[in-house]
Amino acid sequence: MATRALLAVLSASPPRMIRIKVSTFPSSSSSSSIKFQRHITIARSFSSDTNPSVLQPPDVSRLAETARISLTPSEIEECGAKIRQVIDWFGQLQQVDVSSVEPAIRAEMEGGNLREDAPETFENRESIRASIPSFDEVYLKVPKVLNKE
Amino acid sequence: MLSTLQPPRSLTLLPFRRLHGSKTIASLASSSPTLDASSVSPPQSQILTTRRSLLSGETTASEIAKSYLSRIRLTEPQLKCFLHVSENVLKEAQEIDQRISRGEEVGPLAGVVIGVKDNICTEGMPSTAASRILEHYRPPFDATAVKKIKEMGGIVVGKTNMDEFGMGSTTEASAFQVTANPWDLTRVPGGSSGGSAAAVAAKQCMVSLGSDTGGSVRQPASFCGVVGLKPTYGRVSRFGLMAYASSLDVIGCFGSTVADAGMLLHAVSGYDRFDSTSSKQDVPEFESQFLSMDSFESKPLKGLRVGLIRETLEEGVDSGVRSATQEAASHLEALGCLVTEVSLPSFSLGLPAYYVIASSESSSNLSRYDGVRYGNQVMADELNKLYDCSRGQGFGGEVKMRILMGTYALSAGYYDAYYKRAQQVRTLIRKDFKAALDHNDILISPAAPSAAYKIGEKKDDPLAMYAGDIMTVNVNLAGLPAIVRRSINQTN
Repeated sequence: MATRALLAVLSASPPRMIRIKVSTFPSSSSSSSIKFQRHITIARSFSSDTNPSVLQPPDVSRLAETARISLTPSEIEECGAKIRQVIDWFGQLQQVDVSSVEPAIRAEMEGGNLREDAPETFENRESIRASIPSFDEVYLKVPKVLNKE
Repeated sequence: MLSTLQPPRSLTLLPFRRLHGSKTIASLASSSPTLDASSVSPPQSQILTTRRSLLSGETTASEIAKSYLSRIRLTEPQLKCFLHVSENVLKEAQEIDQRISRGEEVGPLAGVVIGVKDNICTEGMPSTAASRILEHYRPPFDATAVKKIKEMGGIVVGKTNMDEFGMGSTTEASAFQVTANPWDLTRVPGGSSGGSAAAVAAKQCMVSLGSDTGGSVRQPASFCGVVGLKPTYGRVSRFGLMAYASSLDVIGCFGSTVADAGMLLHAVSGYDRFDSTSSKQDVPEFESQFLSMDSFESKPLKGLRVGLIRETLEEGVDSGVRSATQEAASHLEALGCLVTEVSLPSFSLGLPAYYVIASSESSSNLSRYDGVRYGNQVMADELNKLYDCSRGQGFGGEVKMRILMGTYALSAGYYDAYYKRAQQVRTLIRKDFKAALDHNDILISPAAPSAAYKIGEKKDDPLAMYAGDIMTVNVNLAGLPAIVRRSINQTN
């Protein structure tokens, strides 16, 4: 475990004196400054593994179907506008040169902590069963399963 | 070390009811939770005070528990920090008292009243992550962190409010209620662990557990004026923490003092065979390392190299936050630190990279909520429709939005452009931190670009809301530990 720590000092000014800059956002600039701007265009320069013509704006109805979430028409409209706004903002990542950078799946950590792959009996089974909304004898009960035509 | 307090406003309307004959409670009943560093000797700690007063017979766990329950009853109508208050608090306190009266040993957290964020599983007690889809859900097991707390005698007083599944920065995205900031009821407590932070600030519990995926312990600690500690990734087992973004999630600690947050961290840390990402490294014992203020030299931090992150003080950061941070840096210099500015060139890229990674992982993690095995089910005549409706009616707007964004970022043809690229940016951020820490022992920065803002102010503007996370997300991407505490008092 790292012995060094990142110490974050929190803000001290009283809330009533705060002016919130709601119309600002970090830019896609590769410079280090926190410059804030709202609209960031999707990158023009893509790495070799990304074809810009493939990056279509999200089709919210289709995404909702994929994610198995029913949305009302008004939700599709409201949610869709926000999602497009955020995905646009994600576009700034396309401008970063990462051609020789390995992706990091998670923080650095020690390996070899996997436990033996052996079944164990969980004692509190009745409590698990009690949480199941529809249960019949030893089976979870669900409606009929139909494949889409 | 650094002490600043926002002047108490609404909290003065919420007096702590003193309990006769209880020195422990009297010490909690100070008019505000201001920490006067000059009078702290040995370290101010409600955990240590509780232990001492229980073992000396000055008070009982039952008296302490009663006073906290009374405080909760008094303050909850205005604050709404808790989604559930345990029915077993007094019973557990009485058991501790009986053990003490029989001369039996009690654990280091005996009688300590602890709030637990609602996305951390507590056996038999509602654990909903503030989501309708888990309304009334009672897990069949304790999270490892909760199990450890109970084994050490800690009393879980209740489950604290949060943004649904940890997705938010104000606690307004709870499906059940909006928590108010104890210092000013018109303002947010921060989030997503807003209930845990506000409960400690309002003395509804001594310490609390939260979780931090992109700043969810540190930012509410800042907004509520308490200590918030985000451990290194892997230090605390995530078993029983409802997964949001598994590569970033950690369980963290809140307390009124650094000592309390440290001791709670010590209690919950360590390897757990149920979490393969938990670390096997030894858990250092913090308590024996506490020093009395009296033993300090005039420059107790002599030689400590402190890096002030330049990018956290530039355009877009509130002037009050900037000046407070600079004052804190000057104070550290006065204590003997060598403070220099450091640059993290990748700093501004962390925010979009974080939101790509967190949304992507959440779209996978939250697929488990299908309405079949637990949680709310919306019956339908066909299985897919059951999933669609259970999830559609069970999840709130922000959760749906993040799942959909994650689904988009992980789609075939988009994966390289978003998810993989965000992970490459994570590598750049890790390298920048490593370089900065090669030349510094610690780094300092503000916890948020502003202090607490008004309830409702950013609710419908996702980008404005996300911008507030700029100070904290990089630390999660790098897996580093961080602590937030008040800076020097500049308001009085």
